Amino acid sequence: MRSTCLIVARKEIVDHARDRRSLTSALAYALMGPAVVMLVSFSPKARGDSLPAVMIGMMSVFALVSAFTGGMNVATDVMSGERERRSLLPLLMTPVRRLDVVVGKWLAASAFALAAVGASLAGLAVVLVLRVPGTLIAHAGAFAAWAILGLAPLALLAAALEIMVAGFSRTMKEAGTSLTLVVFIPMFVGMFLVFFPVAGGWWTAVPIVGQQIALETGLRGSPGSWPQLAALASLTVLSAAAPLLAAERLLSRDDVAG
Amino acid sequence: MLDVEGLRKTYGAVTAVEDVSFAAADGRITGLLGANGAGKTTTLGMIAGVTRPDAGAVRLDGTPLPQAERRRRIGALHDHKGLYARLTARENIRYFGALHGLAGPDLERRLQRVLALLDLGAVAGRPVAGFSQGERMKVALARALVHDPGTLLLDEPTNGLDVPAVRAFRALLMDLRAQGACIVFSSHVLEDVSALCDTVVVIARGRVVASGEPRDLCQRAGCVSLDEAFMRLTSAAEESRCVPRA
Repeated sequence: MRSTCLIVARKEIVDHARDRRSLTSALAYALMGPAVVMLVSFSPKARGDSLPAVMIGMMSVFALVSAFTGGMNVATDVMSGERERRSLLPLLMTPVRRLDVVVGKWLAASAFALAAVGASLAGLAVVLVLRVPGTLIAHAGAFAAWAILGLAPLALLAAALEIMVAGFSRTMKEAGTSLTLVVFIPMFVGMFLVFFPVAGGWWTAVPIVGQQIALETGLRGSPGSWPQLAALASLTVLSAAAPLLAAERLLSRDDVAG
Repeated sequence: MLDVEGLRKTYGAVTAVEDVSFAAADGRITGLLGANGAGKTTTLGMIAGVTRPDAGAVRLDGTPLPQAERRRRIGALHDHKGLYARLTARENIRYFGALHGLAGPDLERRLQRVLALLDLGAVAGRPVAGFSQGERMKVALARALVHDPGTLLLDEPTNGLDVPAVRAFRALLMDLRAQGACIVFSSHVLEDVSALCDTVVVIARGRVVASGEPRDLCQRAGCVSLDEAFMRLTSAAEESRCVPRA
């Protein structure tokens, strides 16, 4: 199974690395957050002591969103795009298991999502260094831990959700509409936590909410414990299994490739 | 050798294939002839192991095989070629070879063989996006042949091809037949069927209404041409299934 997944993943990565329009779009989404945070940092209302808090609050939302936008184009193309172009039928006529196809496509979408997260975090780090240099230096460890144990698993979960949603869409246009709602999830969570802050408890283990809390508390100097972050990371990655299995079931249907 | 026995497939209230049985021998081209919606594509899907039949059996060389094993031993080509436009012809074919479990020097050797067979060497390194319909058909056929299948299923393969491409395609099929391949060819284009098929299976409304060599079908229907025979045979089948009104 492993090598077949990697064959599918490799093909999708090579294929989509050549799609310049899609790459440019994903990079623009990833760097939009740092650009907006930089602009806001020059606002008269965000000066003095309130500046780091405002920037960190915004950064956390934009970083979460980048985990969702990074793999969106790839997920759309490899699932609904394949259905629309009728290239799914030849693929399903090979002896490859449906689960291998889904996992391979998910790995490819995840790779692009992780790259987008990396670009977004690099941009945000530059903004922090330029505008509030003390913050990043003081909390570099929390920033790195959150990036690796928070955002990386979230990118995998986001890619899995997008693979499932795009798979259930017959056309890329339909997938685009549905995936816009998926990208709205981290925005909704971010806004919710701005108005209804939750400090801890079981919320810290809930994917997306947990990541948001971990970043904000981490950069404000009270990071969660390593076991807490590890539990969040594990739960987030495990959550990806459900949408992937749903996508596998979809590909096993008789009418999916017709 | 392909044996199809009593295939049936329904989608909800719609019966796509009611009862299809036929045999296709090695070294021969067997044509499934029917109007649009007759059930040809669904039949090929069931043979190829991508659609589960409600009833019936498919045997390759006398053996009923699981769907995945059947997919390993069959090559298929569809009217929608489904190629990856940003990949080169070579990459498209290599990908499908790898999905069929080929790797390393064996995969490269088979890749070179199909590129040579289909005269694709000059364009093998170019992205498929700029290819003509004829070149796309050749790449799709090469992809279906790379794992050296004993049975080849072709669903409306000449749709959208110009006259030179159709002629080249027919020549290729005749070469493959001469090499002993079992070829099942679905079409509603009577010229293709007349020019290529050794045996014709006429399908109407999901049932086989006649089968045999083209000349036999014409004799049976009392016609000189296959298109007339096709019309008579399918019309007779339609009439026999109609409930007379009071």
